Order: sequence, then structure tokens, then C-alpha cells
Amino acid sequence: MNRPLAKGLLSALAVIIALIWAFPVYWMVSSSFIPTAILQSFIPTFFPLNGTVSNYTGAIADGSFFSALGMSVAITLTVVLFCIVFAFLAAAAISRFRFRGRRSFVIAVLIVQMLPAEGLFIAQYKMVSSVHLLDSVVGVSVIYIAAVVPFTIWMLRGFVAGVPVDLEEAAMVDGLSRFGAFMRITFPLLAPGLVASGVYAFLQAWNEFTVALVLLPSEAAQTLPLWLRGFVQASATRETDWGQVMAASTLVAVPVIIFFLIVQGRLTSGLVSGAVKG
Amino acid sequence: MSADALTRVNNRRGIRAPHLLLIPAIAILVLGMGYPVIWQIVTSFQEYGLKQQFGQAPSFVGLDNYITLATDPQLWVVVGKSLAFCLITAFVTLGLGTLLALLMSAVTTTARLVLQVALLLAWSMPVVSAMTVWIWLFDRRRGAINYLLDMVPGVDMNRFDWLSTPFTFLLVASIIVVWMSVPFVSFSVYAGLTQVSDEVMEAAQLDGATGWQRFWGIILPMIRPVISIVLLLQLIWDLRVFTQIKLLQDAGSKSGDYDLLGTYIYKLGTSAQDFGMASAVSILVLGITIALSWFYIRSLLKEDVA
Amino acid sequence: MKRKIGLVAAATAALVVLAGCSTPAPAEQSADGQNITLWLMGGDTPDTLRDFLKTEYADATGGTLTIEQQDWSDALSKLTTALPDSENTPDVTEIGNTWSPTFTSVGAFSDITDMYVELGGNSLLPSFVEVGAVDGANFALPYYFGSRYIFMRKDVWGAAGLEIPTTLPQFNEGVVKLKTDTQSGFYIGGEDWRNGVSWIFANGGELAKKEGDSWMSSLSDAKTIEGLTQLQTVYQDASLAPVTEADSTPWVNINNNAATGVPEAATIIAPGWAHWSIGDLAPDPKDDTKTVATWNDATFGNFVLPGVDGGAAPVFAGGSNIAVSAASKNQAGSRELMKIIFSEEYQNMLGANGLGPANLDYASSLGDDQFATALSESAANSKLTPAAPGWAAVEGSGLLEEFFGKVNGGGDIPALAKEYDAKIDDLING
Repeated sequence: MNRPLAKGLLSALAVIIALIWAFPVYWMVSSSFIPTAILQSFIPTFFPLNGTVSNYTGAIADGSFFSALGMSVAITLTVVLFCIVFAFLAAAAISRFRFRGRRSFVIAVLIVQMLPAEGLFIAQYKMVSSVHLLDSVVGVSVIYIAAVVPFTIWMLRGFVAGVPVDLEEAAMVDGLSRFGAFMRITFPLLAPGLVASGVYAFLQAWNEFTVALVLLPSEAAQTLPLWLRGFVQASATRETDWGQVMAASTLVAVPVIIFFLIVQGRLTSGLVSGAVKG
Repeated sequence: MSADALTRVNNRRGIRAPHLLLIPAIAILVLGMGYPVIWQIVTSFQEYGLKQQFGQAPSFVGLDNYITLATDPQLWVVVGKSLAFCLITAFVTLGLGTLLALLMSAVTTTARLVLQVALLLAWSMPVVSAMTVWIWLFDRRRGAINYLLDMVPGVDMNRFDWLSTPFTFLLVASIIVVWMSVPFVSFSVYAGLTQVSDEVMEAAQLDGATGWQRFWGIILPMIRPVISIVLLLQLIWDLRVFTQIKLLQDAGSKSGDYDLLGTYIYKLGTSAQDFGMASAVSILVLGITIALSWFYIRSLLKEDVA
Repeated sequence: MKRKIGLVAAATAALVVLAGCSTPAPAEQSADGQNITLWLMGGDTPDTLRDFLKTEYADATGGTLTIEQQDWSDALSKLTTALPDSENTPDVTEIGNTWSPTFTSVGAFSDITDMYVELGGNSLLPSFVEVGAVDGANFALPYYFGSRYIFMRKDVWGAAGLEIPTTLPQFNEGVVKLKTDTQSGFYIGGEDWRNGVSWIFANGGELAKKEGDSWMSSLSDAKTIEGLTQLQTVYQDASLAPVTEADSTPWVNINNNAATGVPEAATIIAPGWAHWSIGDLAPDPKDDTKTVATWNDATFGNFVLPGVDGGAAPVFAGGSNIAVSAASKNQAGSRELMKIIFSEEYQNMLGANGLGPANLDYASSLGDDQFATALSESAANSKLTPAAPGWAAVEGSGLLEEFFGKVNGGGDIPALAKEYDAKIDDLING
């Protein structure tokens, strides 16, 4: 088989796979514009020809969406910010220095993320409640950061190790301090790695709902996953209103998709440089 | 340079002990995980139920919880199912992800971008949104999947209830988890592939190596670090899969036949209110995860000694 | 490093222990100005009733009443964490009637025996009072009750030449005749134990019995097995519902399907308020993308599940209890709210909204239409799950869903009963 033909066939295959992979996302968005009365049919509607936005107006009618959005954004930004800073410092320490306890720290970081979270919620509740931080951004963020930081340290470790020490030393010869050299030379090269870890932290904080369920008991402090779950459950006591449920799902997904599109270039190159040194 | 020598060099250059850099990470870990983890370890040796939650002093029962779980055949069924689910899902994810990465490096730029955007979309779907869509796609009456399968001649999938047997239930769960996890794997492996230098590949081709030989002989060794970390993460994540199973159970059955370890622990805690046992099972799961990832931890230990 | 971790952990733990010590509420406090929180489960309490409670509470105490709605499926974990925590506990909470024994026996609620007579005394629904009482002291009281009865398609039953059955065997045979490839004669999910248990009760069986001081699961009793055997036949020969379906939304199946124009089920069993969702479907005049159901007496009918020898079969008593949290700092305000809930006016409002009022003196507020009659008739014969301390754990573990699912899936009933008796015995005594 000649090469251009093979490439063409493979390209066609890639596009077909892309369509299959994106189908659930398409399905969600498409259905969210179809009136419920049509969705109730046993024959699926594949194209939103008679589109309506009434599903969206219905989904946000009681206003709780916006408070949940605010809560989710606040928690997610807090988690991403602190995770990146803390993980960056720790990653610098373990990949630039040799010291007593380094190996224990690396292994502890790996093992900590293996503990199942499902059995921890009573203790988490007691702890957060004892310092009066239930229903607050801070309480739940501390738990999330602690859960996410091990993996981000893990990810960044490879990136820091990947920037040659020689570069820093050259800068130091030019009169910069070690710290200065690190910040001027190494840090910019790490940007893609920071993006990749930030994306991970973002997804975790945005998606989590079991801890949030317990630590954010009042309705006013709900995050988006809780809001969506409540919405789906309320809808299920009647005949599930799939149009509205899909509109609500889309609303929860859109901020993440936007975030991904913004960072996507950096993300791919971040994975590139982090990958080989992994 | 030995570790001591390196530290001396660092100190001479005016850098304080690197421990300072670790303080924020350690502080947040202790703050966020310290008490819950200690509580969990202690509770796993206690009789701790609803009475204790409402103020009665818990009593230490030694290894009773562990003995109970070791002799509970139902738990071991769940462990077996979880391990099978985890291994199959992780390896399928890794295989598919690697194939898609290879595909990306073999196609035109446009096709690659289309594929990458599709994967990115799937990756960015929040879990609760994704589960809601998938549950509807697999709905027995109004689901698009049954409708499409039913159109295939000779296949009768009308009203087939995917969530009504443990096998098809876990199959659906596995499909969804694979769908969600493949993008991360593909991007990582593809990133690794782009680091394999073109000259090496061309040289190999001139030597007459087939595509298969090139993959096993050159590409795979080059991307092994990526593959092993990605596999490790998939194993850890797929063993403790919780959200997907929980949401599928909300849509299907509450019966224990549909439990994996995550939901098993959750039910022991929230529903049966036996927090002592829930903690003991959590510790067991931790042990299993360490065993599963031993291949990686060991290489880490070696690398560090060297 | 290790020492450092140890120190911080110890400090954290100490903090938690210190804060964990709750201060008991003063015995003689005034309700004036107390701001309290009420947890309601699910959306059963209509908004007008909620507003009434808020207004009346403000009038009585000058304080604010906050009502928070909890979802049934998450309620157990929320009650478990919040009720012992004096800082965050709801002051008053609705609680599933079947969970009442568990939470009452661990001391989650305040003793309100001194108010019992004032709140209605012996007029309160006795079976619900019983599950909230320990050694003659009252902790949780009934909030409202619902009851399940049968909805039928008169047109389908008529076309098959069948009359409304008067005994359970007639019902069992009738619904089997009505089943076709696309229509359930009687739509019941395989794991739907809350409805399926009626067949056990009707045959004189029980889920569990108290022997001396401890409870024993009694699935293996001959009468229970007889009920399960009938249920298995009904499920297998009359229902097309999935074996994994539990207590869900059967009423969507008795309405005409939008796509086919015929119903998916000839008969269903559902809580009384389902009648609002059953009827001829037409576009909603307010929103043409939705549909509304209007009851049509020519097509739809309802009757009470008949007993083995006629009369009414005992069905599962739905509904919930209400109690004051023992950890609440606002005991006085909470007691004020209890008085408002058990007032004649509020009890009548419950009835007018189709919820069985806790105080049976006001049962007439339910009205006298066919639905009210069916509700009263089936409620009079309704039964609750065992008042065992571990019952919430039995329910929460999903053991009953599992057991009923396996029975209806065609399993060997005596063997399954023995297996699940053992599993339930492990949990039922708390």
C-alpha cells in the first residue's frame, strides 16, 4: 500500500473515531435544545431542528444555579492556585535537592493518594465543623487541596527535573543568586507543567461531590455537581425531563470546556515535556 | 555526587535546607488529611457505629474488624470484582489510548486536530454531567444506544436493560470510565511519541524494520516511562472508582451485587453505619493498591538509591 | 520531619476533641428570638405549608425559621453527621418513619413526652408514635402519612372482561391475564420491596419479629414465604418492569405513551398523591413544551389492594416522623415549632394537600373524594416496618432490594429467605 493512501485511510479512521468519542457531548448539547415533549418519544431525535432555549430557562429558573456556579468557581480557583504554588515548591525541593527524608516524602506522597476517600467523611466533617468551616469555601478547599496536591507534586517533579541544572548554574555565574536563577530561568520553562497540573486540580475540584455533600450541607452553599445531582433527582420523581436535565448538564460542563480551550495549547506542550521524564 | 555532597554544595551556595520548600505542602497535607487518616486508622480497631457517633465512647476491639472482613466471603467477591474491573479497564484504557496516540502521529494535521478536539471535549466533561448523559444513552426505553443497536439486522435490543445484571452494569461502567480516561492517556503517550526522534525512526526504517518491530524495538522503550506512570495512575483510579458506580446505582439497583470497593465502603459507612468496618476495609483497599503499584514503587526506590 | 507531622496532627486532633464537647442547652430557656432550622425530606411538603410555618414561627417567637430541604437519598449521611453536632444540627427534622427507631434509640432526639398530650396525645397515628418511642417516652412523633393503593386502566380491564377484584387471588390472576408483550398487567419493579411487602403482610407474614429483647428476621416463616411466592408469580407473569427497579415512578406507565398512544401498564400501585400525575395528557397551556395530566374517570380507576379473603390488604405505611434534635441549642424554639406543626390549622392544611395528617381527629380534611376514601381505607390497614434499632441499617444496606430482586428474578425462595435472614439478623439489633 502506498503511503499517501495509507495516510488518507488512517486520517478517515481518526475522524470517525473522533465523531464517536464526541458523540455523548454532542448528544448532551443537542438534546438540551429539544423540547421535552419531543424527547419523550421512543425514537431518539438526532438533530435539534426545532430548537428551543426553554430547557435552559427552566433549568436556571429558581436562581440556585448562579449561587452554585459562584461556589464552584470560588472553590476551584482556590484549589488550583494553592495546589500549583505548594506543589511547585515541593517539587523543586525533591528534584533539586538531596536530603534526609526525601525518599520517605516521595513515597508518602504517592501512598497518601491511594487511600479511599469514601470512609473518611465522618472524620472530615468532625474536623471541619469543629473549626466552624462547614458551608464555607475554605473548609472544603483545604480537604480538596490536600487530596490533589500529592498528584500535582508528582506531576511537577518530572518537569523540574527536566530543566537542566546547568542552565541555572550558568545564570549564577552571571551573578544571580540560586533562587534568582531558578525563578528567572527554570520557572518560565515550567509553565506548561504548571498548566497541566492546574488542569488536573481544576477537574478534581470542579467534579467532586461526595465530600461536598457532607461539608456543604446547606442549599445555599451547594456546588455545581450537587446542584446538578439534585436537579436530576428531583426530575426523576416525575417523568425525567431529559431536555432540562441535559440543559443543566451542559451548563455545568461549559465552564470546563471553555477553560480547556483556553489552556489547550499549553496543556499539550505541557504533557510533551513532562511525559518523557515522567 | 553523593546526597551529602550535594547538600553541602547547596548550603555553601546559601540555600537553606530544602525542608522549607516542603513546609506548605506538608502543612496542607497534615491539615487536610492528618486527622481523617489517623481517625480512620484508629477507628478500624474500634467498634464504631451510630451509638458512638452520638456520643457513646467507642471501645477498642483489637483486630476484630479485620478478622470479620477476612472471613466475610461477600467482601472477597467484591474485592475480586473490583480487581477484575480495575485491571480490565486500566489495560483497555492504556491500549486504546496508545493506539489513538499512534494514530495521531500517523495522520494529517487536520485529522489529528479533529481527533484531539474530540478527546479534549470528552476529557473536559464533568463527571456528573457525563454520567447523566451516558445513563440516558443506555436508557432501556429511550436510550439512543438501544435504538441504534436495534437497527442492526438480527439484533433485538429493544428495551434491553443494561443495568439489570451485574455483568452488563459493570460493562457499562467500564465503557464510561474508558471513555473518560482515554484522552489523558492518548495525550500523554502522544506527547511521549513526539520526543522519539525522526532520525532514529528513519534509520530503523532504512534497516528494514517493520512497523511492528519499530513499535516494540524503538518506540515502546522510549515511551516506557510515560506508559508506566499512566498505567499506575489508571490502576489507582480504577480500583477506587466511586462516583461513576454510585451514580449508575442511583439509576439502577441498590443491591450489593452491583458494588465495587468504593461503593461497598460507602454503604458500610453511611448506610449500615458501621464505621469501624468501613475504616478497616479502607485500610485493606490501601494495602491492595500498594500491592498493585509495587512495580512502580520498587523502581522508584531503586532509582532513588542510585 | 516525622516529629513535626506528629505535633501538628496532635494539635489538630486536640482542637477537634475540644470543639467536639457540646454544651447542653439550658433547661429553662425562652423561645423568644431563637432562630431555628427545620429539615424537610424531599418535596412532599408544599410551599404554602412551608410559608405558613415560617410566618407562624416568626409571630410566636420573633425568631426566624429556616427550612432546608434534604434529598431522601442523601439524608442518611447528612443526619448521621449533622445530628450529633450541636453547632450545625437542624433544630427540628423530618425523618423517615422506618429510620425513627434507629435514631431514637441512639439518643439523637429530645424527650418530648411532656408535650405529648398537648400535641395530640392518643389521637396521633399510633404506629408512627410507637416507632419514635423508647420505654414509654416519646421522642419522634408522626409528621404525615401516605398510603399506597391501586390505580387501574378501566378501558384495559374492561376490554378483557375483568371486574375490580375483591380478593388478592382474584387480583393476582387478573393482572396476569392482562399482560401482553408490550404491556404489563401489573407494573411492579423487581426490587420494589415497599410495594411488594404488601403480599407478605396480606398473607399474615412479617419481615421481622421481636423475641424477648431482640429482633429476628422472619423471612423464612411459612406465611412470609407464601406471600413471596405469590409476589414472584405476579412479577414474573404480569410485570415487564426491570428486576432492578425499586420504588420509583410507576405512574408514567399507566398514562398513554406519547409515542404509541397506549399505556405501558394496565395496573400500578402507587402512593395516593400519584393521582395528580395520572390522566389524559395534554400540552401544558402555560408551557407548550410540557404536558399535564387530567384525571379521567372513564379511563382511569382506583381501588384498595384487596386482602386474601376480601377486605383490604395491609400495605406499607408511607410517611415520616418529626423530632427535635437532642443536640439543638434552641430547644425552646424547637418546641414552639412542634406546637405549630401539631396545631389544628396546620394539620388541616396537610390533609387539604393530600398528606394524611398526624392527628387522626383531622383526617376529614383529606376530603371525601375517591382518592381520600382509598387513602383512608388503605391507611387504616397499613403496617410499618419493624421498630428495630438496626432497621435503618437494614434498609440502608440495600438488603431488601437485593432480596426482593433475587426472589422476583426467579430465585429459590426458601434458600434465599434463609440466606437473607442471616444477613438481616447481623444488622437488625443495631
